[in-house]
Amino acid sequence: MQSILVVEDSATMRSLIGATLEDLDVPVKITEAASGFEALRVLPRGSFDLIVTDINMPDINGLELVSFVKKNESYASIPLVIISTEGSERDRDKGLGLGADAYLVKPFEPDDLREIAKTLLSRVQADE
Amino acid sequence: MAARRKTPSRRSKAHREFVSEAEEILERMRDGLSDLADQQTNSGEADPEVINQLFRSAHSLKGLSGMFGLDGLGELAHHLEDVLDRVRLGRAGLDAAALGLLDESVALVALTLEKVESGTQDELLDRVAEVIGRIDAWARSPEPATEAAEIELDPAMLRALTEYEEHRLQENIRRGRRIQVVEASFDILAFEEGLAELTGAVREVGEVLSILPSPGEGDESQIRFSLLVATEIPPGDLEARLEMPGASVREASRAGGAPAVAEPTAVLASDSAVEPSLDAAPELTSLKSISDTVRVDIRKLDELMNLVGELVVQRGALARIARELQALPETARLAADLDKVHKGFERKLQDLQSGVLETRMVPLRQVFEKLSRVVRRLRRDTEKEVRLELRGADTELDKLIVEELVDPVMHIVRNAFDHAMEAPEERLAAGKPAEGCIRLEASQRGNDVVITCSDDGRGIDPAVVHSRAIERGIVSENAPLADREVLDLIFAPGLTTCTEVTETSGRGVGMDVVRANITALGGLVEAQSELGRGTTVTMTLPITLAIIQALIVGVADQQFAIPLNSVRETLLVEPDEVQRSEGRELLNLRGDALPLRRLGREFGLGGEDQSRTGKQYSVVLGLGDTRVGLLVDRLEGQQDTVIKPIQGPIDSIRGIAGATELGDGGAVLVLDVAALVEDGLRGGDSA
Amino acid sequence: MSASGNEETGMGPVNEPLAESRWESLARAAASGEKSEDVVLRREFVTFRLGEDAYALPIERVREVVRLRPITPMPRVPSAVRGVISLRGEVVQVVDLRGRLGMESAPAARTSRIIVLHGDDGAVAGLLVDLVRDVLRISEDEIRPCAANEADVVHSLLADGTKFVSLLDVDRVLTFDE
Repeated sequence: MQSILVVEDSATMRSLIGATLEDLDVPVKITEAASGFEALRVLPRGSFDLIVTDINMPDINGLELVSFVKKNESYASIPLVIISTEGSERDRDKGLGLGADAYLVKPFEPDDLREIAKTLLSRVQADE
Repeated sequence: MAARRKTPSRRSKAHREFVSEAEEILERMRDGLSDLADQQTNSGEADPEVINQLFRSAHSLKGLSGMFGLDGLGELAHHLEDVLDRVRLGRAGLDAAALGLLDESVALVALTLEKVESGTQDELLDRVAEVIGRIDAWARSPEPATEAAEIELDPAMLRALTEYEEHRLQENIRRGRRIQVVEASFDILAFEEGLAELTGAVREVGEVLSILPSPGEGDESQIRFSLLVATEIPPGDLEARLEMPGASVREASRAGGAPAVAEPTAVLASDSAVEPSLDAAPELTSLKSISDTVRVDIRKLDELMNLVGELVVQRGALARIARELQALPETARLAADLDKVHKGFERKLQDLQSGVLETRMVPLRQVFEKLSRVVRRLRRDTEKEVRLELRGADTELDKLIVEELVDPVMHIVRNAFDHAMEAPEERLAAGKPAEGCIRLEASQRGNDVVITCSDDGRGIDPAVVHSRAIERGIVSENAPLADREVLDLIFAPGLTTCTEVTETSGRGVGMDVVRANITALGGLVEAQSELGRGTTVTMTLPITLAIIQALIVGVADQQFAIPLNSVRETLLVEPDEVQRSEGRELLNLRGDALPLRRLGREFGLGGEDQSRTGKQYSVVLGLGDTRVGLLVDRLEGQQDTVIKPIQGPIDSIRGIAGATELGDGGAVLVLDVAALVEDGLRGGDSA
Repeated sequence: MSASGNEETGMGPVNEPLAESRWESLARAAASGEKSEDVVLRREFVTFRLGEDAYALPIERVREVVRLRPITPMPRVPSAVRGVISLRGEVVQVVDLRGRLGMESAPAARTSRIIVLHGDDGAVAGLLVDLVRDVLRISEDEIRPCAANEADVVHSLLADGTKFVSLLDVDRVLTFDE
């Protein structure tokens, strides 16, 4: 059972992303965080195999979250997907530069999210 | 077969959530607009936070509408977002008329949302288009001129600033505010209250530009926050106001202070995983350095590379035409001009080629880091004490080669760990230190990159390998093989699948796959070993996959291309110079016996008669120290080629590495030198 | 109930309530525990001939159709694999379909074409045929499974008016047991 953390401040997007990820053909457990703060709180409690985060969030934005995760020995190896918006290439590039593994641009196809999640999750298993 | 269709009475959960969230967003926007209206009348200055909120709302609405296919709504939200973005980035101003337009737009959004519930939103498309038109007109008004302000800030914070945050930073500097960094640590399980207090206190006297979390120093139960703050008051005062003993405040830069520092550090621009800590004397970097690099999709680079490759082939064709024209007296003068132009073209093309190649180069560091992790895990899981030494992580290779290298190199290192490395007791008994060492070293040598994996383990016993190979029918009993050749057998398919060989030979399953992978990249892999002392596997790879010089040869009515860096020499061979011995054909090459292979026979091409009576050429192929002579009918010159993979149902053809195009558009097969040499060594007449 | 709109494809007219988006069907499927499926209605096929016989390929697998061009032979491949061609910089193997189906080979004709196919792993391959006709559009229920498979590559028959057209199984055509 693999565990995914979804960080997104829009409730609708959170539940859509959750539904998409649940549709993968491997069993997954989804944990939702509505803000960067919540993600920081939740991280120590679970051992996650994948993190999906929006970039544009108030207070602690997605980039700051990626930076924190990558600097932290316990979380640095967790694959990260960042969700940016059309037109924000700089933000997306920074996210990738900080160590994010993949990105999606809103609006995106559920299939793309599934593809990326599948690839990153299976990579984790292969390493083990 | 009808598609599923939604009836009016059915509402999906997602749909309901969308509507409810959209309504919340609208509420926020209405609030924001009314705040703005108040501020306008009172101070004439808009609170950037309110504008940002409005922007974020329009932005969220755009994203959500997009996900649900509501184009009209999405369009409207998009234009609103654009215009609010310009306002928050300081590129457009907000006057009463603009506010009025925003009010109207929000009302239209609300109306559209109502219609969405009944599916009639498209009725409003005209009105939406009209409002969008007016928004665009407003946005087209000239932008106020802005100059970029120079700031000095440590890279770690800069890297995590979004575009908007960068703007706010510059804006504050321009206004002469002091930029400070407030730091405090909290318990990781209960930081929210403390942080809220902190930000609240700061917001009373300034703006919080950004909040960067980082792991607590040496204490995993703590989390540290660095707040980037803009304020009028000096750090000492700010610190006093915070009333928080653990919090520290320091100045990040002074407005109008010393000009921007030095060169952009590589840290910001590259993918490097190394990052300076916030506490060590922060490196000062100009904000401008961030935009010195451009991120490019590797596929674009592939396209560019292909184009350059095609250009190279065309250039070759041009050269040939120029040569032919020069031979004819009528065109000699024109041909001389053509030749001059062509030479200039060739020089520029080479520059272009080098330039594009450089863009694709990445250091091996990532591969090395991955290997470190793997070895660490292996160490944990077994009882062996092995340390991994890495040298030359900065050596660069074409990005695609690096990606393809990960698996084979991982395999080699794993094998070394699993099979070559002895358990500590065994090592001590052999007089070696208990801790074994696997060293992975990369360096550039001319046009190649050489990667070696050396271990000080058991080593490979040639006798065992040889007998296994005979057992498996890979070599015949009578064929004499030098130790070097025996070692090369570990790469033979069929040998390595035997697990018994694994124990004693020091290398295990899959070396044939490793060789296949490396060969596919145009490289070579060889092994050297000393029984009891250790083994070294050496991989030689071309720096780039792209353009290779090839020798074109002809056999019967076909042409083939041979990568020139595997050709040691070419010789004219008379039929009577070919000697036969033990079923093989040989040539006396300056005292050494050069095994020969007839390409025509190898590939079943016919043209046998030629080989008996006419002259042939021997192309001497070299693989490491091994030499094999390939007999062909014609030598047809050298050519720059781009080796392309052969796509199709047949996965791989022994002896063929790929194909290339010559100037006339047909495909020419490129020979796999390693395979041909191997086959040449194993000898005997292949029927 | 609605004035216009295509019953079969489910594309509602403007007056219809919000057509279900992929996200919604996904969300609903997730909620009810079923897996969402794509609905296929009519399928399109590229038809071609070998001699007198008519064959078809699903259009999703056909990348393009090109005229016959010089084929460079390859050693050590089954005889049905004629060789490779250069296609705008790509090098692609060409299978002689006659050979693959165990038929006699025919001389190259003015109408001979190479159908460039997508393999199931994304790779590309060419199929040499005598003549390419046109694109057929038929619905699922007109596809009938084939009783006796010709060389294991035909998996069903389409009724094209009054004639039967053999539908090729692309993956099997492109598989050669060594």
